[in-house]
Amino acid sequence: MAKVIVYPPTSMILSDLVSRMGHKALVVPEAVRNLVTESKIQSPPLNMTPEEPKKGLRYAAVDVPSGVRGRMSLIGPIIEESEAAIIVEDPGWLTGCSGCSRTNELVRLLIRTKGIPVLDLSYPTNDDEARVFVQKIRSFLEGLN
Amino acid sequence: MLVTKYVITSPESNILPSDIAMKIYGSKHDVTVKETCMGVTINGEESVIDEVVKEIRSLDPAGIFIKDRGFPPGDPRRCRGRRGGGARPGFYMIESECKILPMISRALAAEGDVPSLPEKKRPLPPGRLEEIVKEGLS
Amino acid sequence: MIRIAQLSCGAEYSGIQREIERAAETVGATLVYPEVSLEDILNVESSFGVSVSSGDLNMAMARAVRIVQNPDLADAVIVMTCFRCAEAAIIRSEIRKYIHENSKIPVLSYSFTERTTAETLLTRMEALVTTVKYRGLLAREKQTGLTAGIDSGSTTTKAVVMRDNQVIGTGWNPTTEVLQSAEDALTAALKMSGVAREELQAIGVTGYGRFLVGKHINAKLIQEEITVNSKGAVFLADAQKGPATVIDIGGMDNKAISVQDGIPGGFTMGGICAGASGRFLELTAKRLGVDITELGKLALKGNYQNVAMNSYCIVFGTQSLVNNLAMGRKPEDVAMAACHSVAEQVYEQQLQEVEVKEPVIMVGGTSLIEGLPKAMEELLQIKVTVPKYAQYIGAVGAALLVSGLLED
Repeated sequence: MAKVIVYPPTSMILSDLVSRMGHKALVVPEAVRNLVTESKIQSPPLNMTPEEPKKGLRYAAVDVPSGVRGRMSLIGPIIEESEAAIIVEDPGWLTGCSGCSRTNELVRLLIRTKGIPVLDLSYPTNDDEARVFVQKIRSFLEGLN
Repeated sequence: MLVTKYVITSPESNILPSDIAMKIYGSKHDVTVKETCMGVTINGEESVIDEVVKEIRSLDPAGIFIKDRGFPPGDPRRCRGRRGGGARPGFYMIESECKILPMISRALAAEGDVPSLPEKKRPLPPGRLEEIVKEGLS
Repeated sequence: MIRIAQLSCGAEYSGIQREIERAAETVGATLVYPEVSLEDILNVESSFGVSVSSGDLNMAMARAVRIVQNPDLADAVIVMTCFRCAEAAIIRSEIRKYIHENSKIPVLSYSFTERTTAETLLTRMEALVTTVKYRGLLAREKQTGLTAGIDSGSTTTKAVVMRDNQVIGTGWNPTTEVLQSAEDALTAALKMSGVAREELQAIGVTGYGRFLVGKHINAKLIQEEITVNSKGAVFLADAQKGPATVIDIGGMDNKAISVQDGIPGGFTMGGICAGASGRFLELTAKRLGVDITELGKLALKGNYQNVAMNSYCIVFGTQSLVNNLAMGRKPEDVAMAACHSVAEQVYEQQLQEVEVKEPVIMVGGTSLIEGLPKAMEELLQIKVTVPKYAQYIGAVGAALLVSGLLED
């Protein structure tokens, strides 16, 4: 079982396909869960404090906007943990944890420069594309075993 | 550790969120269930949730999808009713991906060879474009 | 409860959402997030005019469109994005303009870092809420009765006494011990007006020390300086109807306020670096060996182009000041260059954030340093008005506004 980071890191479809095909999908909600359920700090909604952007300095310099560094404090550790990646081209409707394009660019860059196997895809627009989409993910994940 | 997951049904699935809820209520598992417009959210111990997910998937293997959620169900910190309205940002991503789910479901259920896709469209070579312009002007 | 719509990108992830909420709670407001659909977000290119690659900014634009379509959704708007994000800076400014031009809802824009605290946001949020809550009071154009106003500023404390729409006494002194400085300024104003303290019908207080002073002297009005100063400015410049822009370069921070019919519609309050403040001019005067009241006249004789000086940082500014004098530059050129440098910082950092519409009114003690309004005129290519009593603007605004409470 490989640890697979998916991009967008909040994708339901990708994390579901990775899990149902027997691998571990690394996703942002797990990082959010730790913050909102484990942390004793009360800083709703996400319990993020100015400490998170500071943790993000591990991935981006201080002149990078605080929102990018804060998001990186959630996504960065997941990238470090990952053993493989599936990247789907930005579909133009990413919001929330994936709502900042600068962060997303940095995330893709860090994944690609890590040297792990990467599968590049686009979201399907018809049935034939969907079959190829699922098949490519299946073969990629089988190849990791 | 307590975990929360979304159980989302493809819009074309015959399984309703209430069917999933009933299935869980009828089981012996200690799990909290909350129905939503796109499915249900379930909350419980990680090992129990893993079991429940397997059972739920069996209702419609190609039509039910699972996603992790950071916040527990109905958490006031994320609930729009308690936080000045407006959907939480991640909602739009789920909504967007839900629109693709029927295709993914059919692809998961399909058997046989995967179709070959037509080559992606490329820009017209400049020479050919020039010819067309000339034809159009003549 | 005042509803402030928060249109933002990055606030939660910068760890400052709690601070925004705390500031809102303190001023008795609640934050709201107008409902938009996925289609609204995907269609911002046609509804707003552009879509960008960051989804959260598209969502902010979609919410702005929703508010303009349905102004009942919010009483005020704050547009907030991460400092140093170019994509967000463009959209933040455009959202502010869009709301300002297409609705009557007051709007505040601000770029934050993870260091932004509720305290930083408080004065801005207070002003925003005031413009909504006390619209009637702010629409007041005449001072009535016998009232006093005190402006407890970071550098100087000012007081005025007003009777029947006229300033009849003024007093000022450098701010040292906050309460004593206020007492002294008020005593001086009373003495000049020949009025006994007991005769005053009410006192209004503004400025940094407003809470402390207000409590001590039992003020009837304790109000932040953005609304008070804009009111004082349009009153003194006789620009109560129609648009106006108020620029107040203070000792510690600067305000640029766009006013419509005497009510602030949008404003910025800056002061990250002292190179853009009155402090720098004070330092320049000291270094040139002239009194601060003489610096402006000296500057008018100079040419800023003979001296290279442009810094938002008081340390670097002072460095180039010293270097230029060492190179034998004329004091008058240096004086004008210092005025130009301050004006340029305000122009570059703050006036881009508000609609600059005529008349442009410069107020506060620094407006009396003649070189400064002149430098601002050159930059804006617009005539700048400095009304009489410009240095007492906050005190006049407070005396005027508090008279409105007498009839209630």
